[in-house]
Amino acid sequence: MTTSQDIVREVVIAAPPEAVFPYFIDPDKMIVWKAVDATLDPRPGGIFRIDVTGHDVARGQYVEIDPPHRVVFTFGWESEDSPLPVGGSTVEITLVPEGDGTRVRLVHSGVPAEIRAGSSGGWDHYLPRLAAAAEGRDPGPDEWADAR
Amino acid sequence: METALKAIAEPRRQEILRLVWSQERTAGDIASHFDVSRPAISKHLRVLREADLVGERRNGTQRLYRARTDSVLELRRFLETFWDESLLVIKEAAESDPKGGRR
Repeated sequence: MTTSQDIVREVVIAAPPEAVFPYFIDPDKMIVWKAVDATLDPRPGGIFRIDVTGHDVARGQYVEIDPPHRVVFTFGWESEDSPLPVGGSTVEITLVPEGDGTRVRLVHSGVPAEIRAGSSGGWDHYLPRLAAAAEGRDPGPDEWADAR
Repeated sequence: METALKAIAEPRRQEILRLVWSQERTAGDIASHFDVSRPAISKHLRVLREADLVGERRNGTQRLYRARTDSVLELRRFLETFWDESLLVIKEAAESDPKGGRR
């Protein structure tokens, strides 16, 4: 169930769910679209830690993993001054086959109202990078991240 | 100088500079003033750091930012040279004018 408080994004990627799903659980694939460094323990209860830019570390816990259909994880920023602390929000990713591709539906719940626009913008920045990577195109270096 | 001018040209970076002008702030504090994501703010802070307009200090897991006012002063001095030159032109024009006034 979603509410108007949730961030909801949908994107259709020209690759099957089997090709998209690993980008949420494989660190080597995660760093292509959303991180400069990633440590992932992809099992229910497993912790992940991703350094998104070299300055912003996100941490969370995988809640549900059902390859290649669905992955649910908690999400928050590690820094103590963040309005979105570790464990503070939940991201549900659902992958549904559509033609030869995949409809990716993202529901991010629990994000405080004052940073919801920012978080939405974050996904709008990263989801096209996911699409590029899963489709076999190079998303290139993330302009938000420190140079590697 | 070019790096600093480019850095300061972006409206959000001008706003960040104002926020950290007289007060050291964390990235989270700075980000809370904007409708953009935290990583996007990190990018702006990086550009400001690389231009030496903002300094970064670590305190435990936090990073604190503050304007490098001396660097901004350099920028101001650079811009002021244009006025110095304009004044020189006026001075020379005035001195070369035998009547000593505008015609």
